[in-house]
Amino acid sequence: MAKWGMVIDLDKCTGCQACTTACSMENNTLPGESWQDVLFYHEGEYPSAQMKWLPRPCMQCEKPSCVYVCPTRATYKDEEAGGIVFVDWNKCIGCKYCMIACPYGVRFYADEQPLVEPDIRDVYPGENGQLWSPPYQNPEQDWRRGIGIQPKGVVSKCTFCHHKVSKAPEGVADLDEDDPDLVEYVPACVRTCPPKARFFGDLDNPESNVNRLIGDKKGVRLLDHTGNRPQVYYLGAGAGIPAFSPRKS
Amino acid sequence: MSDNNVMKGGLGTGLLILSVIVLLGSFGFVMYNLTVHGHATFNVSSNLPWGQPISTYLYFALASSGLGLIASLPLVFGFKQYYGLAKRAIFLAFIILVSGMAVLALELGHTFRMLWAIPFNMQIQSAMFWMGVFYAADLLFLLWKFQKMESGDWDSKATRTIGIASFLGVLLASGNLALIFGMMSMRPFWFDGLLPIYFYLTAVTSGLAALVFFTYLAYGFQRGAMPEKLQQALAGGLPKLFAAVLGLTILFVGVRAITGLYSNNPEIHYVWTEYLFASPVYVASVVLGLLVPFALMISASLRVNPGIQILVSILTFGGLFAERYFFVVGGQVVPLFKGTWAWDMIQYTPSITEWALTVMGSALLFTLYVLGEKFFNLSAAPEQPMMDAAADQPRQATA
Repeated sequence: MAKWGMVIDLDKCTGCQACTTACSMENNTLPGESWQDVLFYHEGEYPSAQMKWLPRPCMQCEKPSCVYVCPTRATYKDEEAGGIVFVDWNKCIGCKYCMIACPYGVRFYADEQPLVEPDIRDVYPGENGQLWSPPYQNPEQDWRRGIGIQPKGVVSKCTFCHHKVSKAPEGVADLDEDDPDLVEYVPACVRTCPPKARFFGDLDNPESNVNRLIGDKKGVRLLDHTGNRPQVYYLGAGAGIPAFSPRKS
Repeated sequence: MSDNNVMKGGLGTGLLILSVIVLLGSFGFVMYNLTVHGHATFNVSSNLPWGQPISTYLYFALASSGLGLIASLPLVFGFKQYYGLAKRAIFLAFIILVSGMAVLALELGHTFRMLWAIPFNMQIQSAMFWMGVFYAADLLFLLWKFQKMESGDWDSKATRTIGIASFLGVLLASGNLALIFGMMSMRPFWFDGLLPIYFYLTAVTSGLAALVFFTYLAYGFQRGAMPEKLQQALAGGLPKLFAAVLGLTILFVGVRAITGLYSNNPEIHYVWTEYLFASPVYVASVVLGLLVPFALMISASLRVNPGIQILVSILTFGGLFAERYFFVVGGQVVPLFKGTWAWDMIQYTPSITEWALTVMGSALLFTLYVLGEKFFNLSAAPEQPMMDAAADQPRQATA
C-alpha cells in the first residue's frame, strides 16, 4: 500500500487560496472550517519586513498526537489507506482532546458560533443527521472516515480527499493532475493549484516525484521538534511560522 | 448532638427547595440552548476548544480528590483527631464528583456515546481513557467507603483495605487528570511532569475550603452547635493544615509564574504577561483568593476564629475556581501554529449558557448536600478512636 504524501513548494505558491476554496467545495465545509487554509503573516520589521504565506492542510503525521489522546479510537491512522488520519464520526464523542493535542491546529469542531452571518446552518438546516444540508453536496459520504458533511458534536479534518485517492490504480507513484488517466483521483487542493505548487504521491515509492522533490529541493517538515513527523513536506524559502507576538492596535 | 444540624430542619428544607429550583432552572436553560443552538451556545471555538465547562469540571473533580485525600488522613494514616470530619468529607467528595461529571456530560458533543465508546475501544494510550477508569473507581470506592461508615464499620480489615484502595484511586485519578494537561508538549503553558503535585496540593486546598464551608453550613455557621469532635478538629490541626496547603499553593503558583515570566518562549511568556497578569480578575483571584486567606490563616489567633475560617473557605473557593479557569484557558490563548497571522491572543469570555452550566453544577452539589445532611449523620465518628484522642489531650497540653 502507498504511503501518501504531499509536497508544497512555497517558491511557487502565490497565496491565491484556490486550494482553500476547492477543498471547501469538495468537502462541503462551513465558513471558518478550513480543512485547507492559507495563513498570511509577517516576519521582521521595516526595513526588512517580509509578507509571507503558508498553505496548511492536515499533516497526516506518522506519529499523530491526536490519535494517541483520543479516548475512543475515533481518530485513527489508517496505514491501509496510505497513512491518512481519519475521524470516525460514529465514535467521536466531541471531547475535543485531539484539537488540544494537534500542534498544527488543523482540526475543527463546526458545532460552534458562525464565522459569518447569516449562519449557513440556519439557511440550510441539517437533514438525516447532518449538521447542515446544502442543496448541492458531494455524494461521497463515509462517516467512519470523516468524509461528507458531519453530524453535530464531532470533530472534522482534512482527509487528503480519501474518497478520490482511494480509487487510484494500485501501485501508482504519483497522482498528477496533468495526467488525464489520474486527474480524477487527485486531491482537490492539488488539482486546483494554479501555479502547480502542490504535488501528491507515494512516499514509500523510491521512484515517486514527491520523493525526488523532497530529496532534490531540500524538503522540510514543519514543527519537526514535536516529533509528529508529518507526511506533508514544504519546499522553498520561508517554510516556517514566525513566533506569535501580540500586537497592540 | 447532631440535632443541632440546621440542615435537618426548616432551614435545610428551604435551602433544598432553593437549590432544586436553581438546578431545574439552570438545567432547563442549558438544555434548551443546547437543543436549539447546539454547542454554538458556548463561546468556545475550534481555536480555543476547552472553556469554562471544562474548568468547572476540573474544579469539582479536584475538590472531590482533595476531600478524598483529607478523609484518608484519619482513615488511612491514623490521624484520629480528624475522624469527626471523615464521613462528611467522603460524602462531599462523592457528590462534588457527581456534580462535576454532570457538567462535563453536557459539555461533550455526544454524552451517551461516551458510555460505550470509551470502554469498548480500550484506547489505553489516552489519558482521557484512564480518567474514566480512575474516576469511576474513585466514585465506586467513595460510595463503598461511605456505605461502610453508614453501617458503623469504621475499623474492620475490609474497611481499611477499601480506605487504602480509595486513597490510591484518588491519587491516580487526580494525578492522571493533571497529566491530561501536563503531557501536552505542544501546549508549553501546561507541559509539566510535576503538574500532578500541583494538582494534589490545590485539590487539598479546595477540598479543605469545601469541607470547612459545608461543615459550618450544617450547623448554621455556629461552631458551638457542632459535636465536640468537630469543634476539636476545627480548632486544632485542620486550620494549620489549611494554612500549610494555602502556602504551598502560593509557592507553586509563584514558581510557575517566575518560570513563565523568565522564559522567552512566547507560548508561555505572553500567557503570563499579556493574559494572566494583564487580567484584573486573575490578579484579584490570586490576592483575594490565595494571599489574603494565607495571611489570615498564618495568624495563630485568627485561624481558629470561626468567622475567619468561613471567610477564608469562601475566598479560597472563589480563588481556586478562578485558578482552574485561568489554567485551562491560559493553555490555549496563544493560537497554535498561527504565528504572526494571529492579531492577538484568542479572546474568550464564558457565555451565559456556560455560566448556567457552572450554576447547574453548583446547584446540584447543594441539592445533594442538603439531602445528605437530612438523611445521614455526616458528623458520625467511631467512639473508640475518639476516646484515644481524648486520652491524648492531656499529653498534648502538658507538652
